[in-house]
Amino acid sequence: MKDRKESMRFLKKENQIGVSDLFKKVLVANRGEIAVRIIKTCQEMGIKTVAIYSKVDKDAIHVHLADETVNLGDPTPIESYLNIPKIIKIAQDTGSEAIHPGYGFLAENPDFAQSCSDVDIKFIGPESEVIGLMGDKIAAKKTMEKAGVPVIPGYHGLKQDNATLVKEGNKIGFPLLVKATAGGGGKGMRIVYNEDILEQSIESAKRESKSAFGDDSVFLEKYLDKPRHIEFQILADEHGNTIHLFERECSVQRRHQKIIEETPSPVMTPELREKMGRAAVTTAEAVGYTNAGTVEFMVDGDLNFYFMEMNTRLQVEHPITEATTGIDLAKWQLRIASGNKLTLKQKDIIQRGHSIECRIYAEDPSNGFLPSTGILEKVEPPKGPNIRDDSGIFTGMEVTPYYDPLLAKLVVYAENREECLNKMKWALSRYVVLGVTTNIAFLKEVLEHEEFRKGNITTHFIDDYFKDWTVTKDGLPIDAIIALAVYDTMHTKREEIVRYKEADPHSPWKHVGRWRVSGRGI
Amino acid sequence: MFINYEHENHVYNVTIERRDNHYFITYDNSEYKVEAEETRPGQLKIKIGDRLIKSVITEGEKEKFVFVDGQVFRVKPVELTGIKTGKKKEEGDLSSPISGKVVSIKVKNGDLVKKGDVLMVIEAMKMEYLIRAPYNGKVININFKVNDQVEIGQSTIELDKEV
Repeated sequence: MKDRKESMRFLKKENQIGVSDLFKKVLVANRGEIAVRIIKTCQEMGIKTVAIYSKVDKDAIHVHLADETVNLGDPTPIESYLNIPKIIKIAQDTGSEAIHPGYGFLAENPDFAQSCSDVDIKFIGPESEVIGLMGDKIAAKKTMEKAGVPVIPGYHGLKQDNATLVKEGNKIGFPLLVKATAGGGGKGMRIVYNEDILEQSIESAKRESKSAFGDDSVFLEKYLDKPRHIEFQILADEHGNTIHLFERECSVQRRHQKIIEETPSPVMTPELREKMGRAAVTTAEAVGYTNAGTVEFMVDGDLNFYFMEMNTRLQVEHPITEATTGIDLAKWQLRIASGNKLTLKQKDIIQRGHSIECRIYAEDPSNGFLPSTGILEKVEPPKGPNIRDDSGIFTGMEVTPYYDPLLAKLVVYAENREECLNKMKWALSRYVVLGVTTNIAFLKEVLEHEEFRKGNITTHFIDDYFKDWTVTKDGLPIDAIIALAVYDTMHTKREEIVRYKEADPHSPWKHVGRWRVSGRGI
Repeated sequence: MFINYEHENHVYNVTIERRDNHYFITYDNSEYKVEAEETRPGQLKIKIGDRLIKSVITEGEKEKFVFVDGQVFRVKPVELTGIKTGKKKEEGDLSSPISGKVVSIKVKNGDLVKKGDVLMVIEAMKMEYLIRAPYNGKVININFKVNDQVEIGQSTIELDKEV
């Protein structure tokens, strides 16, 4: 232990000049595609890796790739990938110097970051306090307001009398949103377009909220017309250098779950990018942010932008930034965490071409997007120029109900948006995933939607155009029937063919084509 | 040979024959003459006139998955002729020969049955299929209720053979 403390002190001293040795061994506290992605980068950098896995993940790709593996047993997240004491102990037992949390699971858990630093293990991410602050959405907004970053104007006060609320509402301006503090699902929510109906809207929202949640307190917020979700990638080292790596447009979401991300954003202008980029850097600097992070903004129809929150980790959609800047974010996370200086300068970061990511989920879009589980009978990702498939799946793997249904992230890059969309359509059409139902057909339809092609996307896009979407049920196309029949002929033994031929020639079934069962139309 | 495929409650009746390096497929009163090659296991390249169909087919436990033109179809082969392609049935096998719905159950737990007695009626594709006792015995377990969906090969009823 003493030796370890000594070496940490040495490391810190070295830090002051910003040149440190990289970690020798890193534990990856995650699973699926992100664990695979991080392990591969560690390998490139000559860093040894420790993978952890639950019982059901014993054959997972990240387990095969890592230098050392430790079984967590019970697949329930709380007993496996969320179990802080277990993971810390494994890191200590394996002599890991740092832990990369990936995204999800413990990535934004301040207690986990603290537990790491308590035992002198480097958490690859910002300080525990910073994670905690950004995790408190109201405190984060207040901090940003003070730092001069625009936040959505609103009133979240305790004084709930009508006079106060009307006064505050007029201050915010119209249209505005009256929302139940205890709310959810649109209950106790009103959009108010002018002053005349403000008071009555507040009263009715309160009544509705009282009957729905037993609490009539409300808050007021400016209502954003045609809202977009645009975020900025940040890299900050431990020596006070912070840069941004431009935006990602993430407006296409279903129930706050991003589906398709792209960069650059179709609405971005050089001036707006400059302004938002600066605001993102200010956000990070205001809290002493270190490592990779993402500042999320809402942008309205008039291109006003407002700070929403900061994600204190590597994002799922980080590869599109890597594609358009040529910078490996995971590599920089490791370098920064080991104390190295960020040698990239803002002026040297160039955005080039266009990149799109589609998230491939094991879920059934025509069955309420319910997760689909089972054995993956065949997995064949598309290959081609500028196509990246970040995945944790393989033929024969079982998709279990324990974890997030994300199977893979398909990322393509091209010179411009139109070519990029065409390439993504090409790649999705060649992504073979057999055995579980995926959202690939849904993704293709979204990409082909006229408004999407025009770049007219808001966070309401899926609700506006795909609310009750189901797979078009045209039945089996003739090509599938031919392929099946040919396949079955090739794989049927001779004597069985003979038996088929001997089958009753008068069978009525020989003369029916496609017909219906249980009264369903064709 | 003729084959029936079930896809989303529809049955597709297809006839296919192999002659002189060509496959002749008849479906819905049309005949298609194709050349086909399995380039890799499960991967087909089918030439139909001047058009090319590329398809990937894999077999799951009970169904086949067909990937064609970016779409995936889950298809179940159905046997309407009563011809069994698979292994010979063991004596006393009470597994369902078809996928269908249980329409009635003629016995209850503990009943003594005679060889040939009807135990369960399963309906599929508007046909009824009778599960009969293969020997004299006592019913020890009934695995389905009326209206349950039964898949091919699932055990319907367990009998304790009378010795």
